[in-house]
Amino acid sequence: MSKENLTYDQSFTKPIIKYGMITNLLGVLLSFVPSFVLLFVYDIFPGVSNILSGWVLIVSIYGIYAIVEPVSYFPILGLPGTYMSFLAGNIGNMRVPCSAIAQEAVGVTPGSKKAELVSTLGIAGSIITNMIVVTIAAVGGAALMNAFPPIVIEAFTYVSPAIFGAIFSLYASKKIEYGAFALIVVGIMLLVIKVLPTYVMIPVAVFSTVFFAFKTHDMRNRKNK
Amino acid sequence: MKEYLNTANSPLLWASAMPIALLVVIQAIIFTKKALDSAHLVDLSKDDARKAFKIGAISSIGPAMGVFVVMLGLMAVIGGPLAWMRLSIIGAAPTELAAAGMAAKALGKELTSSDYGMMEFANATWVMGLNGSAWLLSTALFSHKIEGLTHRISGGDPKRVGVLMISAMCGAFAYLFGNELKKALNPATVPFAVSGISAAIAMYFLEKFARKHPKLGEYNLGIAMIIGMACAVIYKRIVA
Repeated sequence: MSKENLTYDQSFTKPIIKYGMITNLLGVLLSFVPSFVLLFVYDIFPGVSNILSGWVLIVSIYGIYAIVEPVSYFPILGLPGTYMSFLAGNIGNMRVPCSAIAQEAVGVTPGSKKAELVSTLGIAGSIITNMIVVTIAAVGGAALMNAFPPIVIEAFTYVSPAIFGAIFSLYASKKIEYGAFALIVVGIMLLVIKVLPTYVMIPVAVFSTVFFAFKTHDMRNRKNK
Repeated sequence: MKEYLNTANSPLLWASAMPIALLVVIQAIIFTKKALDSAHLVDLSKDDARKAFKIGAISSIGPAMGVFVVMLGLMAVIGGPLAWMRLSIIGAAPTELAAAGMAAKALGKELTSSDYGMMEFANATWVMGLNGSAWLLSTALFSHKIEGLTHRISGGDPKRVGVLMISAMCGAFAYLFGNELKKALNPATVPFAVSGISAAIAMYFLEKFARKHPKLGEYNLGIAMIIGMACAVIYKRIVA
Protein backbone atom coordinates (compact mmCIF):
# COMPACT_ATOMS: atom_id res chain seq x y z
CA MET A 1 0.00 0.00 0.00
CA SER A 2 1.16 3.48 -0.78
CA LYS A 3 -0.40 4.82 2.42
CA GLU A 4 3.04 5.07 4.00
CA ASN A 5 4.21 7.44 1.29
CA LEU A 6 1.40 9.96 1.63
CA THR A 7 2.34 13.39 2.88
CA TYR A 8 0.67 14.82 5.97
CA ASP A 9 -1.31 17.10 3.72
CA GLN A 10 -2.67 14.20 1.63
CA SER A 11 -3.22 11.88 4.53
CA PHE A 12 -4.78 14.33 6.99
CA THR A 13 -5.41 17.94 5.93
CA LYS A 14 -7.15 17.24 2.60
CA PRO A 15 -9.53 14.55 3.93
CA ILE A 16 -10.30 16.71 6.97
CA ILE A 17 -11.36 19.59 4.72
CA LYS A 18 -13.48 17.25 2.62
CA TYR A 19 -15.22 15.51 5.50
CA GLY A 20 -15.40 18.68 7.60
CA MET A 21 -17.19 20.50 4.83
CA ILE A 22 -19.59 17.63 4.12
CA THR A 23 -20.47 16.98 7.78
CA ASN A 24 -20.98 20.63 8.72
CA LEU A 25 -23.17 21.27 5.66
CA LEU A 26 -25.10 18.11 6.43
CA GLY A 27 -25.48 19.52 9.94
CA VAL A 28 -27.39 22.49 8.52
CA LEU A 29 -29.88 20.17 6.85
CA LEU A 30 -30.29 17.85 9.83
CA SER A 31 -30.87 20.82 12.15
CA PHE A 32 -34.34 21.08 10.66
CA VAL A 33 -35.50 17.48 10.94
CA PRO A 34 -37.65 18.20 14.04
CA SER A 35 -39.16 21.22 12.26
CA PHE A 36 -40.12 19.08 9.27
CA VAL A 37 -41.54 16.35 11.49
CA LEU A 38 -43.76 18.93 13.15
CA LEU A 39 -44.79 20.26 9.76
CA PHE A 40 -45.45 17.03 7.90
CA VAL A 41 -46.56 14.71 10.71
CA TYR A 42 -48.31 17.05 13.12
CA ASP A 43 -49.25 19.66 10.54
CA ILE A 44 -47.87 22.49 12.67
CA PHE A 45 -46.14 25.40 10.98
CA PRO A 46 -45.68 28.84 12.55
CA GLY A 47 -45.58 30.56 9.16
CA VAL A 48 -42.64 32.00 7.26
CA SER A 49 -43.06 35.52 8.63
CA ASN A 50 -42.99 34.38 12.28
CA ILE A 51 -39.93 32.25 11.63
CA LEU A 52 -38.16 35.09 9.93
CA SER A 53 -38.99 37.67 12.57
CA GLY A 54 -37.76 35.31 15.31
CA TRP A 55 -34.62 34.74 13.26
CA VAL A 56 -33.99 38.46 12.75
CA LEU A 57 -34.30 39.02 16.50
CA ILE A 58 -31.74 36.35 17.33
CA VAL A 59 -29.40 37.12 14.42
CA SER A 60 -29.19 40.73 15.56
CA ILE A 61 -27.68 39.46 18.82
CA TYR A 62 -25.65 36.43 17.77
CA GLY A 63 -25.25 36.62 13.97
CA ILE A 64 -21.90 38.37 14.08
CA TYR A 65 -20.46 35.60 16.27
CA ALA A 66 -20.76 33.14 13.40
CA ILE A 67 -17.90 35.07 11.78
CA VAL A 68 -16.03 36.39 14.82
CA GLU A 69 -15.80 33.12 16.77
CA PRO A 70 -14.43 30.82 14.05
CA VAL A 71 -11.80 33.42 13.12
CA SER A 72 -10.83 34.24 16.72
CA TYR A 73 -10.59 30.64 17.86
CA PHE A 74 -8.94 29.33 14.71
CA PRO A 75 -5.32 29.82 15.83
CA ILE A 76 -6.19 27.78 18.91
CA LEU A 77 -8.42 25.05 17.47
CA GLY A 78 -6.72 24.56 14.11
CA LEU A 79 -8.52 23.21 11.06
CA PRO A 80 -9.95 19.90 12.36
CA GLY A 81 -10.74 21.47 15.73
CA THR A 82 -12.73 24.23 14.05
CA TYR A 83 -14.96 21.83 12.10
CA MET A 84 -15.57 19.68 15.17
CA SER A 85 -15.98 22.46 17.71
CA PHE A 86 -18.50 24.44 15.75
CA LEU A 87 -20.56 21.34 15.00
CA ALA A 88 -20.40 20.11 18.58
CA GLY A 89 -20.48 23.43 20.43
CA ASN A 90 -19.29 24.32 23.95
CA ILE A 91 -16.06 25.77 22.65
CA GLY A 92 -14.62 27.88 25.47
CA ASN A 93 -15.80 25.67 28.31
CA MET A 94 -15.02 22.26 26.80
CA ARG A 95 -13.36 21.90 23.38
CA VAL A 96 -10.47 24.32 23.81
CA PRO A 97 -9.65 23.25 27.39
CA CYS A 98 -9.68 19.56 26.40
CA SER A 99 -7.48 20.23 23.40
CA ALA A 100 -5.08 22.26 25.55
CA ILE A 101 -4.82 19.75 28.37
CA ALA A 102 -4.29 16.87 25.93
CA GLN A 103 -1.45 18.76 24.25
CA GLU A 104 0.02 19.59 27.63
CA ALA A 105 -0.08 16.01 28.92
CA VAL A 106 1.34 14.46 25.76
CA GLY A 107 3.93 17.22 25.66
CA VAL A 108 3.81 18.58 22.11
CA THR A 109 5.09 21.85 20.66
CA PRO A 110 2.12 24.22 20.33
CA GLY A 111 1.20 24.79 16.70
CA SER A 112 3.07 21.74 15.37
CA LYS A 113 1.46 19.02 13.23
CA LYS A 114 1.78 16.58 16.07
CA ALA A 115 -0.06 19.07 18.25
CA GLU A 116 -2.82 19.24 15.64
CA LEU A 117 -3.36 15.47 15.79
CA VAL A 118 -3.26 15.40 19.60
CA SER A 119 -5.74 18.28 19.70
CA THR A 120 -8.04 16.47 17.23
CA LEU A 121 -8.02 13.36 19.42
CA GLY A 122 -8.56 15.33 22.63
CA ILE A 123 -11.53 17.15 21.14
CA ALA A 124 -12.97 13.92 19.73
CA GLY A 125 -12.73 12.36 23.19
CA SER A 126 -14.53 15.33 24.73
CA ILE A 127 -17.30 15.10 22.14
CA ILE A 128 -17.99 11.48 23.03
CA THR A 129 -18.12 12.30 26.76
CA ASN A 130 -20.43 15.26 26.20
CA MET A 131 -22.73 13.10 24.14
CA ILE A 132 -22.93 10.46 26.86
CA VAL A 133 -23.55 12.97 29.66
CA VAL A 134 -26.15 14.94 27.71
CA THR A 135 -27.93 11.73 26.75
CA ILE A 136 -27.99 10.52 30.35
CA ALA A 137 -29.36 13.93 31.35
CA ALA A 138 -32.07 13.78 28.70
CA VAL A 139 -33.18 10.28 29.63
CA GLY A 140 -32.73 10.55 33.40
CA GLY A 141 -33.77 14.18 33.57
CA ALA A 142 -35.00 15.72 36.76
CA ALA A 143 -34.98 12.38 38.58
CA LEU A 144 -31.20 12.29 38.27
CA MET A 145 -30.95 15.81 39.56
CA ASN A 146 -32.44 14.70 42.87
CA ALA A 147 -29.81 12.00 43.19
CA PHE A 148 -27.12 14.66 43.73
CA PRO A 149 -26.90 16.63 46.96
CA PRO A 150 -27.96 20.25 46.34
CA ILE A 151 -24.48 21.51 47.19
CA VAL A 152 -23.01 19.53 44.27
CA ILE A 153 -25.55 21.01 41.87
CA GLU A 154 -24.74 24.45 43.23
CA ALA A 155 -21.01 23.82 42.80
CA PHE A 156 -21.50 23.08 39.11
CA THR A 157 -22.82 26.59 38.48
CA TYR A 158 -19.22 27.67 39.19
CA VAL A 159 -17.59 25.24 36.77
CA SER A 160 -17.12 27.65 33.84
CA PRO A 161 -15.13 30.32 35.74
CA ALA A 162 -12.92 27.56 37.14
CA ILE A 163 -12.18 26.24 33.63
CA PHE A 164 -11.47 29.71 32.26
CA GLY A 165 -9.16 30.53 35.17
CA ALA A 166 -7.29 27.23 34.93
CA ILE A 167 -6.72 27.44 31.17
CA PHE A 168 -5.70 31.07 31.33
CA SER A 169 -3.17 30.25 34.03
CA LEU A 170 -1.86 27.27 32.04
CA TYR A 171 -1.07 29.45 29.01
CA ALA A 172 -0.11 32.67 30.77
CA SER A 173 2.55 30.75 32.68
CA LYS A 174 4.09 29.64 29.38
CA LYS A 175 4.65 33.25 28.38
CA ILE A 176 3.97 35.54 31.27
CA GLU A 177 4.22 38.71 29.18
CA TYR A 178 1.49 37.54 26.76
CA GLY A 179 -0.78 36.72 29.67
CA ALA A 180 -0.14 40.04 31.39
CA PHE A 181 -0.65 42.00 28.20
CA ALA A 182 -3.92 40.19 27.41
CA LEU A 183 -5.29 40.69 30.91
CA ILE A 184 -4.47 44.41 30.80
CA VAL A 185 -6.20 44.81 27.42
CA VAL A 186 -9.25 42.94 28.71
CA GLY A 187 -9.21 44.98 31.94
CA ILE A 188 -9.21 48.22 29.98
CA MET A 189 -12.11 47.04 27.80
CA LEU A 190 -14.21 45.69 30.67
CA LEU A 191 -13.54 48.27 33.38
CA VAL A 192 -12.54 51.48 31.61
CA ILE A 193 -14.29 51.53 28.22
CA LYS A 194 -17.16 49.34 29.46
CA VAL A 195 -19.47 49.81 26.47
CA LEU A 196 -17.87 47.46 23.93
CA PRO A 197 -19.99 44.53 22.77
CA THR A 198 -18.61 41.01 23.22
CA TYR A 199 -18.16 40.51 19.49
CA VAL A 200 -15.65 43.38 19.53
CA MET A 201 -13.91 42.41 22.77
CA ILE A 202 -13.11 38.80 21.82
CA PRO A 203 -11.29 39.58 18.55
CA VAL A 204 -9.57 42.63 20.08
CA ALA A 205 -8.32 40.52 23.02
CA VAL A 206 -7.11 37.72 20.72
CA PHE A 207 -5.55 39.68 17.90
CA SER A 208 -3.96 42.48 19.95
CA THR A 209 -2.20 39.79 22.01
CA VAL A 210 -1.14 37.99 18.81
CA PHE A 211 0.17 41.27 17.43
CA PHE A 212 2.03 42.04 20.66
CA ALA A 213 3.48 38.53 20.71
CA PHE A 214 4.80 38.72 17.14
CA LYS A 215 6.29 42.17 17.74
CA THR A 216 8.15 41.08 20.88
CA HIS A 217 9.14 37.77 19.25
CA ASP A 218 10.60 39.54 16.22
CA MET A 219 12.36 42.13 18.35
CA ARG A 220 14.01 39.44 20.43
CA ASN A 221 15.08 37.57 17.28
CA ARG A 222 16.64 40.68 15.84
CA LYS A 223 18.53 41.30 19.05
CA ASN A 224 19.88 37.76 18.99
CA LYS A 225 21.18 38.04 15.45
CA MET B 1 -47.78 19.21 32.17
CA LYS B 2 -48.56 21.51 29.32
CA GLU B 3 -50.27 20.05 26.27
CA TYR B 4 -47.50 20.81 23.74
CA LEU B 5 -44.93 19.01 25.89
CA ASN B 6 -46.65 15.71 25.04
CA THR B 7 -45.69 16.27 21.43
CA ALA B 8 -42.34 17.86 22.30
CA ASN B 9 -41.41 14.74 24.28
CA SER B 10 -42.93 12.21 21.88
CA PRO B 11 -40.91 9.28 20.51
CA LEU B 12 -41.16 10.76 17.04
CA LEU B 13 -39.49 13.97 18.20
CA TRP B 14 -36.77 11.89 19.84
CA ALA B 15 -36.24 10.11 16.53
CA SER B 16 -36.06 13.42 14.67
CA ALA B 17 -33.36 14.73 17.00
CA MET B 18 -31.18 11.68 16.49
CA PRO B 19 -29.73 12.20 12.98
CA ILE B 20 -27.72 15.30 13.89
CA ALA B 21 -26.52 13.84 17.19
CA LEU B 22 -25.33 10.83 15.21
CA LEU B 23 -23.62 13.15 12.74
CA VAL B 24 -21.60 14.73 15.56
CA VAL B 25 -20.42 11.30 16.71
CA ILE B 26 -19.68 10.12 13.16
CA GLN B 27 -17.61 13.23 12.46
CA ALA B 28 -15.64 12.69 15.68
CA ILE B 29 -15.02 9.07 14.66
CA ILE B 30 -13.91 9.98 11.12
CA PHE B 31 -11.53 12.65 12.41
CA THR B 32 -10.16 10.29 15.06
CA LYS B 33 -9.52 7.66 12.41
CA LYS B 34 -7.78 10.15 10.12
CA ALA B 35 -5.63 11.35 13.01
CA LEU B 36 -4.66 7.78 13.93
CA ASP B 37 -3.88 6.95 10.29
CA SER B 38 -1.58 9.96 10.05
CA ALA B 39 0.07 9.59 13.47
CA HIS B 40 3.19 7.87 12.12
CA LEU B 41 3.89 10.87 9.86
CA VAL B 42 4.54 13.12 12.85
CA ASP B 43 6.01 10.52 15.21
CA LEU B 44 2.94 10.35 17.37
CA SER B 45 3.02 6.99 19.15
CA LYS B 46 -0.08 4.81 19.53
CA ASP B 47 0.15 5.25 23.28
CA ASP B 48 0.24 9.02 23.10
CA ALA B 49 -2.65 9.04 20.62
CA ARG B 50 -4.73 6.91 22.95
CA LYS B 51 -3.70 9.11 25.86
CA ALA B 52 -4.82 12.27 24.02
CA PHE B 53 -8.28 10.84 23.36
CA LYS B 54 -8.61 9.59 26.91
CA ILE B 55 -7.58 12.93 28.43
CA GLY B 56 -10.13 14.75 26.28
CA ALA B 57 -12.80 12.32 27.38
CA ILE B 58 -11.95 12.55 31.09
CA SER B 59 -11.38 16.30 31.22
CA SER B 60 -14.75 17.04 29.69
CA ILE B 61 -16.73 15.22 32.39
CA GLY B 62 -16.70 18.34 34.58
CA PRO B 63 -17.79 20.84 31.94
CA ALA B 64 -20.36 18.35 30.61
CA MET B 65 -21.87 18.17 34.10
CA GLY B 66 -22.16 21.95 33.94
CA VAL B 67 -24.08 21.55 30.67
CA PHE B 68 -26.24 18.90 32.32
CA VAL B 69 -27.38 21.36 34.98
CA VAL B 70 -28.48 24.07 32.54
CA MET B 71 -29.96 21.51 30.21
CA LEU B 72 -32.64 20.62 32.73
CA GLY B 73 -33.84 24.22 32.59
CA LEU B 74 -34.03 24.05 28.82
CA MET B 75 -35.88 20.72 28.91
CA ALA B 76 -38.66 22.20 30.99
CA VAL B 77 -39.46 24.64 28.17
CA ILE B 78 -38.71 22.88 24.89
CA GLY B 79 -38.89 19.24 25.99
CA GLY B 80 -36.22 16.54 26.19
CA PRO B 81 -35.53 15.77 22.52
CA LEU B 82 -34.90 19.33 21.33
CA ALA B 83 -32.84 20.24 24.42
CA TRP B 84 -30.81 17.07 23.92
CA MET B 85 -30.30 17.82 20.25
CA ARG B 86 -29.36 21.47 20.70
CA LEU B 87 -26.86 20.74 23.46
CA SER B 88 -25.25 17.85 21.57
CA ILE B 89 -24.51 20.25 18.72
CA ILE B 90 -23.48 23.89 18.28
CA GLY B 91 -25.73 25.08 21.04
CA ALA B 92 -24.59 26.49 24.31
CA ALA B 93 -27.50 26.63 26.73
CA PRO B 94 -27.73 30.47 27.05
CA THR B 95 -27.76 30.91 23.26
CA GLU B 96 -30.44 28.28 22.83
CA LEU B 97 -32.59 29.78 25.59
CA ALA B 98 -32.27 33.16 23.90
CA ALA B 99 -33.22 31.66 20.52
CA ALA B 100 -36.27 29.95 22.02
CA GLY B 101 -37.15 33.23 23.70
CA MET B 102 -36.94 35.19 20.45
CA ALA B 103 -39.02 32.56 18.64
CA ALA B 104 -41.73 33.07 21.26
CA LYS B 105 -41.38 36.84 21.07
CA ALA B 106 -42.02 36.74 17.32
CA LEU B 107 -45.44 35.33 18.21
CA GLY B 108 -45.94 37.89 20.96
CA LYS B 109 -45.28 35.44 23.81
CA GLU B 110 -42.65 34.79 26.47
CA LEU B 111 -40.99 31.50 27.38
CA THR B 112 -42.70 31.79 30.74
CA SER B 113 -46.12 32.76 29.33
CA SER B 114 -48.88 30.48 30.55
CA ASP B 115 -50.15 30.25 26.97
CA TYR B 116 -46.75 29.22 25.52
CA GLY B 117 -47.83 26.36 23.31
CA MET B 118 -47.39 24.21 20.25
CA MET B 119 -46.93 27.03 17.75
CA GLU B 120 -44.25 28.73 19.87
CA PHE B 121 -42.50 25.41 20.25
CA ALA B 122 -42.59 24.82 16.50
CA ASN B 123 -41.20 28.30 15.91
CA ALA B 124 -38.39 27.55 18.37
CA THR B 125 -37.32 24.54 16.29
CA TRP B 126 -37.03 26.74 13.20
CA VAL B 127 -35.35 29.73 14.84
CA MET B 128 -32.83 27.58 16.74
CA GLY B 129 -32.06 25.71 13.53
CA LEU B 130 -31.53 28.88 11.53
CA ASN B 131 -29.45 30.48 14.26
CA GLY B 132 -27.12 27.50 14.64
CA SER B 133 -26.80 27.07 10.88
CA ALA B 134 -24.86 30.33 10.65
CA TRP B 135 -21.88 28.78 12.47
CA LEU B 136 -22.15 25.54 10.51
CA LEU B 137 -22.22 27.38 7.20
CA SER B 138 -19.38 29.75 8.01
CA THR B 139 -17.11 26.94 9.23
CA ALA B 140 -18.06 24.56 6.41
CA LEU B 141 -17.34 27.15 3.75
CA PHE B 142 -14.46 29.19 5.14
CA SER B 143 -12.38 27.08 7.56
CA HIS B 144 -9.83 26.10 4.92
CA LYS B 145 -9.57 29.74 3.85
CA ILE B 146 -8.77 30.82 7.41
CA GLU B 147 -6.15 28.08 7.48
CA GLY B 148 -4.44 29.77 4.55
CA LEU B 149 -4.64 33.10 6.32
CA THR B 150 -3.02 31.87 9.53
CA HIS B 151 -0.31 30.27 7.43
CA ARG B 152 0.45 33.63 5.95
CA ILE B 153 0.50 35.34 9.36
CA SER B 154 2.96 32.80 10.72
CA GLY B 155 4.96 32.53 7.50
CA GLY B 156 5.01 28.74 7.95
CA ASP B 157 7.76 29.06 10.59
CA PRO B 158 6.89 26.51 13.32
CA LYS B 159 8.20 28.83 16.03
CA ARG B 160 5.88 31.58 14.88
CA VAL B 161 2.96 29.14 14.70
CA GLY B 162 3.65 28.34 18.35
CA VAL B 163 3.74 32.04 19.24
CA LEU B 164 0.47 32.55 17.38
CA MET B 165 -1.25 29.72 19.21
CA ILE B 166 -0.05 30.60 22.72
CA SER B 167 -0.80 34.30 22.32
CA ALA B 168 -4.26 33.66 20.84
CA MET B 169 -4.96 31.36 23.76
CA CYS B 170 -3.84 34.01 26.27
CA GLY B 171 -6.04 36.60 24.54
CA ALA B 172 -9.19 34.48 24.35
CA PHE B 173 -8.96 33.16 27.89
CA ALA B 174 -7.96 36.53 29.34
CA TYR B 175 -11.31 37.69 28.01
CA LEU B 176 -13.29 34.71 29.36
CA PHE B 177 -11.44 34.81 32.69
CA GLY B 178 -11.62 38.62 32.89
CA ASN B 179 -15.41 38.47 32.57
CA GLU B 180 -15.53 36.22 35.63
CA LEU B 181 -13.06 38.40 37.57
CA LYS B 182 -15.30 41.38 36.94
CA LYS B 183 -18.02 39.60 38.87
CA ALA B 184 -16.02 40.33 42.06
CA LEU B 185 -17.36 43.88 41.83
CA ASN B 186 -20.89 42.73 42.55
CA PRO B 187 -21.32 41.19 46.04
CA ALA B 188 -23.89 38.70 44.74
CA THR B 189 -21.57 37.23 42.10
CA VAL B 190 -18.24 37.20 43.98
CA PRO B 191 -18.14 33.35 44.16
CA PHE B 192 -17.72 33.21 40.36
CA ALA B 193 -14.54 35.28 40.64
CA VAL B 194 -13.40 33.18 43.62
CA SER B 195 -13.85 30.02 41.55
CA GLY B 196 -11.84 31.47 38.65
CA ILE B 197 -8.98 32.81 40.75
CA SER B 198 -8.56 29.72 42.94
CA ALA B 199 -8.63 27.41 39.89
CA ALA B 200 -6.02 29.61 38.20
CA ILE B 201 -3.73 29.44 41.23
CA ALA B 202 -4.33 25.71 41.63
CA MET B 203 -3.50 25.10 37.97
CA TYR B 204 -0.25 27.03 38.29
CA PHE B 205 1.00 24.77 41.08
CA LEU B 206 -0.45 21.59 39.56
CA GLU B 207 1.50 22.28 36.37
CA LYS B 208 4.74 22.79 38.28
CA PHE B 209 4.11 19.55 40.11
CA ALA B 210 3.21 17.70 36.90
CA ARG B 211 6.52 18.65 35.34
CA LYS B 212 8.18 16.40 37.92
CA HIS B 213 5.45 13.74 37.83
CA PRO B 214 4.15 13.71 34.25
CA LYS B 215 1.63 10.95 34.94
CA LEU B 216 -0.46 13.27 37.11
CA GLY B 217 -0.78 15.91 34.40
CA GLU B 218 -3.79 14.13 32.89
CA TYR B 219 -5.99 15.06 35.81
CA ASN B 220 -4.82 18.65 36.27
CA LEU B 221 -7.80 20.34 34.67
CA GLY B 222 -10.24 18.18 36.61
CA ILE B 223 -8.47 18.83 39.91
CA ALA B 224 -8.22 22.59 39.29
CA MET B 225 -11.92 22.64 38.43
CA ILE B 226 -12.91 20.88 41.62
CA ILE B 227 -10.73 23.22 43.69
CA GLY B 228 -12.30 26.25 41.99
CA MET B 229 -15.86 25.03 42.54
CA ALA B 230 -15.13 24.03 46.14
CA CYS B 231 -13.58 27.41 46.97
CA ALA B 232 -16.60 29.21 45.47
CA VAL B 233 -19.06 27.17 47.53
CA ILE B 234 -16.97 27.56 50.71
CA TYR B 235 -16.65 31.29 50.17
CA LYS B 236 -20.40 31.58 49.71
CA ARG B 237 -21.12 29.59 52.87
CA ILE B 238 -18.56 31.23 55.13
CA VAL B 239 -17.99 34.77 53.94
CA ALA B 240 -21.20 35.74 52.23
